[in-house]
Amino acid sequence: MAAAATSRWLGFRCRLCLKLRGQRYYFRTFIFCRFYSGSATLPKVEGTNITGIEEVVIPRKKTWDKVAVLQALASTVSRDPTAAPYAFQDDPYLIPASSMESRLFLLAKKSGENAAKFIINLHPKYFQKDIAEPHIPCLMPEYFEPQIEDISEAALKERIKLKKVKASVDMFDQLLQAGTTVSLETSNSLLDLLCYYGDREPSTDNHFQQSGKSEELFTSNQQAKNNAERIFALIPEKNSYSYCTMIRGMVKHRALVQALNLYAELLNNRLKADVYTFNALIEATALNMNEKSEDKWNNILELLKQMAAQKVKPNLQTFNTILKCLRRFQAFGRLPALQTFREMKAIGIGEYGTTDKTSLLSHSAENPSKGSSRIIYDIMNEITGQKFTPKDPDDGMHRNCLDLELAYQVHGLLNTGDNWKFIGPDHRRNFYYSKFFSLLCLMEQIDVTLKWYKDLVPSVFFPRSQTLIDLLQALDVANRLEVIPQIWKDSKEYGHTFRSDLKEEILMLMARDQHPPELQVAFADCAADIKSTYESQDARQTAPDWPANSLNCIAVLFLRAGRTQEAWKMLGLFRKHNKIPGNKLLNEFMDSAKASNSPAQAIEVVKLAGAFSLPICEGLTQRVMADFAISQEQKEALGNLTSLTSDSDSDSDSDISEGI
Amino acid sequence: MLCQRKTKNNVQRYFGTNNTICSKKDEQPASMHEISKETESQESVKENTKKDLLGIIKGMKIELSTVNVQTTKPSSTRQLKSVEATINKLQKAPGDAPKKRTKSLSPELVAAASAIADFLPFDKQTTKSELLRQLQQHEEVSKAQKNGGRAKISVSNIISDMKVAKSATIRVSTRPVHQIQFDEGSDDYMSQKTSDVKKSLRKNMLKGKRLNIFDLKAVTEETSETETTPSLWDIEFAKQLAAVNEQPLQNGFAEMIQWTKDGKLWEFPINNEAGFDDEGSEFHEHIFLDIHLKDFPKQGPIRHFMELVTCGLSKNPYLSVKQKIEHIEWFRNYFNEKQDILKENGIEFN
Repeated sequence: MAAAATSRWLGFRCRLCLKLRGQRYYFRTFIFCRFYSGSATLPKVEGTNITGIEEVVIPRKKTWDKVAVLQALASTVSRDPTAAPYAFQDDPYLIPASSMESRLFLLAKKSGENAAKFIINLHPKYFQKDIAEPHIPCLMPEYFEPQIEDISEAALKERIKLKKVKASVDMFDQLLQAGTTVSLETSNSLLDLLCYYGDREPSTDNHFQQSGKSEELFTSNQQAKNNAERIFALIPEKNSYSYCTMIRGMVKHRALVQALNLYAELLNNRLKADVYTFNALIEATALNMNEKSEDKWNNILELLKQMAAQKVKPNLQTFNTILKCLRRFQAFGRLPALQTFREMKAIGIGEYGTTDKTSLLSHSAENPSKGSSRIIYDIMNEITGQKFTPKDPDDGMHRNCLDLELAYQVHGLLNTGDNWKFIGPDHRRNFYYSKFFSLLCLMEQIDVTLKWYKDLVPSVFFPRSQTLIDLLQALDVANRLEVIPQIWKDSKEYGHTFRSDLKEEILMLMARDQHPPELQVAFADCAADIKSTYESQDARQTAPDWPANSLNCIAVLFLRAGRTQEAWKMLGLFRKHNKIPGNKLLNEFMDSAKASNSPAQAIEVVKLAGAFSLPICEGLTQRVMADFAISQEQKEALGNLTSLTSDSDSDSDSDISEGI
Repeated sequence: MLCQRKTKNNVQRYFGTNNTICSKKDEQPASMHEISKETESQESVKENTKKDLLGIIKGMKIELSTVNVQTTKPSSTRQLKSVEATINKLQKAPGDAPKKRTKSLSPELVAAASAIADFLPFDKQTTKSELLRQLQQHEEVSKAQKNGGRAKISVSNIISDMKVAKSATIRVSTRPVHQIQFDEGSDDYMSQKTSDVKKSLRKNMLKGKRLNIFDLKAVTEETSETETTPSLWDIEFAKQLAAVNEQPLQNGFAEMIQWTKDGKLWEFPINNEAGFDDEGSEFHEHIFLDIHLKDFPKQGPIRHFMELVTCGLSKNPYLSVKQKIEHIEWFRNYFNEKQDILKENGIEFN
């Protein structure tokens, strides 16, 4: 009974297997449990495919990208605002604390890698051991020297491949001298090489030339072009590719007139240019210095018409180039830019690189006339939520935001998907974030601003001193001055310890009004800290320079917090640095002297005022006389003091000018 | 956008916030046209002179109508149809009030009001005073809202340049006039208005003249692309493009992704045989080596020996199939050479 049940179950399972897998092998198993089959739906087939029951749809095998797993893992991780960026996590001592330090860090890291690569390639015979399984080609030394030594076209091709400009030119000359003809293709690739690098060797390490401009100035490359032109002339039958590459090279190296002439020659020979050549020509016409914007625009339109006539399809680069050139035309270019944009949309050129939009945006930004701001809103609405793929090297984000909503939109856009990569090199990123944060300080509520501050600083960017001053002013407006000591601590961390404008701003804000006592104490501590920075600065420099404002503020803060000893020491510093104490300060000193009921101090104050020949001396003297109980001789001394000050006016002027 | 409201007189009145208002009754179309033109000209003059926000807004004829406009009944007998046009235009100012309003009512407005009053067949004096009272009220309302709400400066930039969406024919309305008051909810109006503005502006950006140089059909037809190897220009361009996106790595996974792309790291999920192809041979070619023994005698010590050899070879993971076959070949050659020794011992080979 049990056996029958199990065998029936077995039979069922076999059928199940069949249904699920539907392959041929399992029919053998099916056969021996056939006599247990109770279901009428199963046909009894032998050795053929199952038919009659539902079609088994074998799903297509999914192929995953080789980095799919890692990307999935990476999507689970987001930025930690309390940690240093990942690239800087090495030795904790080396974690950079300012933007300059971070740049140095990255440079050092990259140059270390480059140095190692250089050594490996210099002595390849020492680095032959290969234990990696599978083989890792990028860790093995590379060979940059051409191997083929004889004079042949293969040797020329090899040198072209290795991008040895001079060597290939020599090889070409040798080939011609030897009388062998060089095939058109090789000549074209040689022309490519020459035109792209402009007769100079390609720089091996231009990673840190952040300007990224491989284009030369117009003047410097006149003779350097000769090789390319010479070889161009030597090629017996040029095809359109040769012309095209020459034109592109000329435009790249700013030989604009020659490029246009060569294009005319191309047309004379009844050859067709390709889309890249047209792009280069458009750029050439736009860069032509001698013409006005309208003429240039008309020329560009001419070129476009010729392009349509030659049935050359424009691509995204065409429109990007046009828009970039129009951007240079300033106000004139706005309407044509819109027209171009509509044209582009009308003929359906792919997804948009951001250049077209950013060109329009920068148009609008640079011409803040009435119409342009609406364009910004339009474009922002268009591109919100889109993810971009780079289509053009200039796709980096360069923004200056006009108002807060727009800034948030831009920032949101930046954070969707992979768009954050577009923000460009370091300095641009810092610029963007500085601007963004300044805008926040100006226009957003202080709590939100502080939240952004905690979020962005320092994990995303290091604030410049101006940004911090903006933040301080925002705090002032919002009446949150208690955050100031914290800001000072942060500024010290970010390398602004010796920025006098920042310190003055901080001191001024703290010293301006009276505050509740605990806050006053905190402020006084902060002031003492700033004072010590000034002192250490003095120690390093030969000419000590304390701004008078700072001295005033520090003294006031000390007084208000009840640190009278130090305050009195500050008075001495005034003398030392030849700075004049403010009237308010002296009054406060007088108040404190009164509070501590010491006429000696009061007289000190008056003496100091007298030493600086300040007009307030009179008032102070009278106050001393009135409020304090002083002895007769002190009175006389005071009297002398006042008479002195009133006499020596001319002297006092020179004194004061010295002090300032 | 049109709203309707039944009034006491059971007349369906249509009003809207745009200029192109159609209505059932067509009374005095010509005069309406003139009046609206006149008020337009008045307003343009004012715009030139004053150049404040209200003036600019008045110069616009927006097609938006998110104004939540209530109407109250006027004093019963008035049928001041034409005034509606004026008031509508004047009412375009949303809660965002004019910045500078030095006088309470400008003389041009007063002149306009009196002109209208002259036109209409009703009692001129009362008409004029009614109109002026209306305008005054709007002044106050706008002033109050100006002090209350602050509009964003940038929005004013938008508004100042909003496109005039005039329709070709100004259809005349003989709407009765109501006293129109704004809702106090000016903020909602503003934000809604800006979004509407943006929508309309976006349309304007996309519509409009294009260069008309390229033809859509010509561009989209597929030309036969010849496969050429990418030239130096293309390669360098691709490199530049990749460099645009370069940023320092954000976390360890990004670093591992970079290493995987460089080829320095194994690909996940780990495939034991990554990078190892074994020249395309399958496992059965490694294991079932009997096939290669067909040249050997079927029985005898040699066969025994060769079967042991194949058994060993099948278990050897380090040799390729070719090498295993070479082993067997070697034995065959060996035995062929040593034929005489084999014959001596009576072992058959061949």
